[in-house]
Amino acid sequence: MGWLRYLRRKRWDQERARELECYLEQEIADNLARGMSAAQARDAAHKKLGNLTLIREDIYRMNSLGFIETLWQDVRYALRGLRKSPGFTLVALLSLAMGIGATTAIFSVVYGVLISPYPYARPGEIWAPSIHDLKNPQQVRNWHRIREYMEVKKLPAFAETMATLPETRLLTGEGAPERFQSIDVTANAFQFLGVAPVLGRSIQPSDVRPDGQPEPVIVLSSGAWKRLFDSRPDALGKKLILNDEPFTVIGVMPPRFGWYTSEGGWVVLPEDVRDKRYAAGIVRLKAGVSPQAAEDQLQALHTRLAHEQPEDFPKSGFTTKLDNYLDVTTASGEMQSSLRMLFGAVGFLLLIACANVANLQLARSTARSHEISVRMAVGAGRGRLLRQLLTESMVLSLVGGVLGVLLAIAITKAVELLIPGDYVPNEARITVNSYVLLFSAAVSVFTGILFGLAPALKSSRPDLVDALKDAGRTSGTGGGTRTRSALVIAEIALSVVLLMGASLTIRGFLQLQSVNPGFQADRVLMMGLQVSPKRYSTYQQRIAFSENVLAALGTIPGVQSVALGNGGLPFGGPRSQYSIEGQPKEDSRELLLGLISSGYAQTLGIPLRAGRDLSPQEITRVEPVALINETAAKLWPAGANPIGARVHLDVLDKLPPEQLKAPSISPVVTVVGIVGNTRNDGLRNPTLPALYLPYTILATTGRTVALRGSAQPMQMLNAVRERIRGIDKDQPLGNPITLAEVLGFETVQPRFNMALFSFFGFLGLALAAIGIYSTLSYTVARRTHEIGIRMALGAGRGDVLHLMLKMAGRLVLIGLGVGLAGSLALAKFIGSEVFQVPGTDPVALAGVVLLLTFAAFLACFVPSRRAARLDPMSALRHE
Amino acid sequence: MLQGTLDLLILQTLVPGPAHGHTIAHVIEHRSEDVLQVEHGSLYPALHRLETRGWIASFWGTSENNRKARYYRLTALGRKQLEAQTSNWDRLVQAVNRVLRPAGE
Repeated sequence: MGWLRYLRRKRWDQERARELECYLEQEIADNLARGMSAAQARDAAHKKLGNLTLIREDIYRMNSLGFIETLWQDVRYALRGLRKSPGFTLVALLSLAMGIGATTAIFSVVYGVLISPYPYARPGEIWAPSIHDLKNPQQVRNWHRIREYMEVKKLPAFAETMATLPETRLLTGEGAPERFQSIDVTANAFQFLGVAPVLGRSIQPSDVRPDGQPEPVIVLSSGAWKRLFDSRPDALGKKLILNDEPFTVIGVMPPRFGWYTSEGGWVVLPEDVRDKRYAAGIVRLKAGVSPQAAEDQLQALHTRLAHEQPEDFPKSGFTTKLDNYLDVTTASGEMQSSLRMLFGAVGFLLLIACANVANLQLARSTARSHEISVRMAVGAGRGRLLRQLLTESMVLSLVGGVLGVLLAIAITKAVELLIPGDYVPNEARITVNSYVLLFSAAVSVFTGILFGLAPALKSSRPDLVDALKDAGRTSGTGGGTRTRSALVIAEIALSVVLLMGASLTIRGFLQLQSVNPGFQADRVLMMGLQVSPKRYSTYQQRIAFSENVLAALGTIPGVQSVALGNGGLPFGGPRSQYSIEGQPKEDSRELLLGLISSGYAQTLGIPLRAGRDLSPQEITRVEPVALINETAAKLWPAGANPIGARVHLDVLDKLPPEQLKAPSISPVVTVVGIVGNTRNDGLRNPTLPALYLPYTILATTGRTVALRGSAQPMQMLNAVRERIRGIDKDQPLGNPITLAEVLGFETVQPRFNMALFSFFGFLGLALAAIGIYSTLSYTVARRTHEIGIRMALGAGRGDVLHLMLKMAGRLVLIGLGVGLAGSLALAKFIGSEVFQVPGTDPVALAGVVLLLTFAAFLACFVPSRRAARLDPMSALRHE
Repeated sequence: MLQGTLDLLILQTLVPGPAHGHTIAHVIEHRSEDVLQVEHGSLYPALHRLETRGWIASFWGTSENNRKARYYRLTALGRKQLEAQTSNWDRLVQAVNRVLRPAGE
C-alpha cells in the first residue's frame, strides 16, 4: 500500500493541486459575491488558504517514504554537482580506480602465485628435505637415491612420504615421435597429494605387483589428454608407447594438477633398492612431531648413509633441513621478492590515491562552505546537510569503486600475460581476489567519505554571518591549507619512492641488455636430440648417431658450422673439482665442464684467444685434450702459459657406472686452446672458469645441437628435420629455439619487473602531479582577491608568478627530500636482486629528481600563470 | 486546535452527505460560531490523511455554482471511526469537566 502510494505520488500531487485551485475559485467567487474587488477577492482567498506550496509539500511528504525520497534527491544532486565540476570528478574517480585496481590486481597475483599456488591437499603441511654443504652453503642436495628414500620412509617422524623422479621418455606410435614428460611417482603419490582424477582412476599402491614390478599404467595430465586424445573419454584403456614399452591410460587429472608437468603424465616408480636413480622425496609429519625433531632424525639417518656411501655426501660435513613446500616453489627467490616489492609499490599507490582524494575532497568542501552557510541560513537542518554531503561522498566513492573493480580485472589480466611462466608454478591460477578487492575498495571509499565529511562537520556549525560575509575572500592561509600541504608533500614523497623503484628496474634492465654474453647470438638455431635408450643401447651406436647428425647437418646449404654439446649451450653444465699439475689442490674450487664437438666455438661465435680448437679426430678418438675459457686461464699464475698444461678432473675418475662411456678415459687432460669468456652461468652472474672436453667421453641419451647459418635461424628447421629423418625416421626433434631467444629468457624477469614498476611509478607520478596541480589551482582561486590587491598595489605579473611558484616549490622540495631519504632508507632493506643495481645508483637517482621536478613544475606552472594573468580589476570584483 | 479534533470535525461534517473542501472548511467555521478558526489550507493534508486511512472517499463532482470540485464522503469504516472517536471525545470532555467543576460545587 505504502509503496503503491509512493510510486503514484506525482499523480496525487497533481490531483491535490487541482483541488486547491478549485478551493481558490470557490472562495474567490464567494468573496466577489460579498462585494470585494477582484484583486481583494483573490488576496483574501489566498490568505484564507495559507501557503499553497507548503500544503502540497505536506501532502507529498505524506505519500513518500522519507529517507528514500531524500536519498534519491541527494544522489541526483550529487551527480549534478559532479557533472558540474568534471575536472574534480575525473581526477577523484581516476585516483580511486587506480588505487583500488592496482592494489587488488597485484595482491591477486601474489595470492595466486605465492600464497596459494597449489591444488594439493594441505600444501602447507608438506615438507621437502635438503642436505646443505657446511663449507659451501650454495651446494644443496635435495634428492635421495631410491635406496636412501626407502630408509627415509621408515623414519618414525613421518606420517607419509612420496618420491618423484622426473623422466622424459620417447613417445612413438601414431603421431610424430616426441619427447614426452612422464614423471615417475611412488604408488601412493596421488593419495599423498590428495587430488582426484577427472576421468578413470589414479595410480594406487596395487599398481606395484607383489614381485615389485610396476604395472605399465599411465595417468595423463589434462594437457596431454587434450593434445593426444582431443579430451575424449575413450582415451581410457588406450596404449601409449613410451621408450618402446606400452603403457595403458588409466586416468586423467584435472587441469590444475601439474605435479612436475602440465603436458605429460605420471607412471609408477617401483621402490627398488638396486635403482641407482635420484628421486625428490617429500614428507608429511606425524601429528605432534615438530619439523625440528624430524630434521634431527633425518640428519642422523644421513650421517649413517654418508658413512656407507661417502661419495654421495659433501666431504666437509652437512646439515639437513626441512623446507615447507610453499617456500620451495618455482616462484621462490627472484619472483617472490619482485612480487613482494610490487605489492609494497601498489600499497604506496593506494596511499597516493587516497591522499589525492582526500585533498580534492578537502578543497571542494572548503570551497563549498559558503554554499553550506547559505543553505543553513535558509533553514536547512544540520543533520540533513550532513546526510547530503555523505551521500555525495558515497556516490563519488561508489562510482570510483566500480571503476576500480573493472581496472583490477584488467590489470590482473595484463599481469597474467606479462608474468614469465617459468617463474610461476604451473599449478598456480591468477584470479581477481575478492577479499582484497573489498579491502582496497573499503579503504578508498572510507577515505573519500572521511575527508568529504570532516570539513562538512566543521562548516556545518560555522558562524553563519562570518561565512556569508567571508564569501571567497579568505587568503590561502586557513587551517585546511596545512592539511592540504601535508597531503601534497606525502604524495610527492610516496611517488618519489615509487619512481626510484621504476628507475632502478629500468637501469638494471638496460645494464643487463648491454651485457656482452661472449657469443654471437644471431644466426644460431638450437634443439635437443634425445635418442631412445632401448634402440641405441651401446656406446658405439649412440656416438655413431651423433657423428652422423653432425655430418648430415653440416651439408645443409647455408650452414656454416654445427656443434654438439652437453653444457655450455649456452649456459650451465656439469661441474668438477680439479687439480692443476704443479699447483696444490683446493677442494672447494670447481670447473664448469662442457662436453663439445669440434666447431663448438665457431658455431656459438666464441673467439679463440690462444692455441687451437679440438680437431674432429681428437674428438672421435676421445683424446685427453681440452679448451679452457679466459677465466679458467687466470687459474695459472701470471706469465705461465696454460697451453700444454695438464689438469686432473675428479669427475672423470668416478663416472657413474650406469653411464655409457668411452672404453678408456684419462682423468688428466692437456689444455690445447683458450677461448673467450661467455656468460656461462646466466647473464646476471659472473663468468665461471670453464673447461671443454670431447663429447665422446660419455654417450648420454640427450644432446643439444647448434647450427650457425641463416639470418633467420628457424628457416633451417625443415632441412634439419629432413636430414635427421634420413638418419632415423623415428627420431624426434626437441623444441627448436634460437640462441637469441635463449638469451631473451634471461631478461624475462627483469623485463617483467621493469614493466610493472615503471607502470606503477608513472601512475604514482601522474597522480601526485595532479594532486599538486589541483591544490595549487584551488589556492590560486582562493587567493584571487588577494592577488588583485597585490597587483593594484603595484605587484607585477612576474612577482605573482614568483609568489605562487615559491609556495609550490617549497612543497615539492620537501616532498622530494622526504621521498629520497625514504627510498634510500628502504634500499637498505631491499635486496638488489630485484633491481640488479644498488639502491643508491646515482643515474637512477638523478633520473627521478629530474622527472619529478619537471612534472611538478608543469603542475605548478599552469595555475601560477593563471594567477599572474589575472586582470586586477576583475580579481578585486571576484567574489 | 487539539490534535485529532480536526479529523473528528471533518468526519462529523460529512455525516449529512458528501461535501467538497471549501464547504467543509466553511461549515466547521460556522458551526463553531467562528470559534474554531481553521487555516483552510491545513484542511487538505488532513483530508488526504483520512482518505489514505480509508475513512473517507473522494470523487470529482460539480459544485452548487457549477464548478468542478472534489467531493468527499464518509465510508463505512469512517462512520465506525466517527462513533468511536465521538464517544472518546465525550468521555474526555466529561472527565475534563469533572476536574474543572467538581460535583457539589
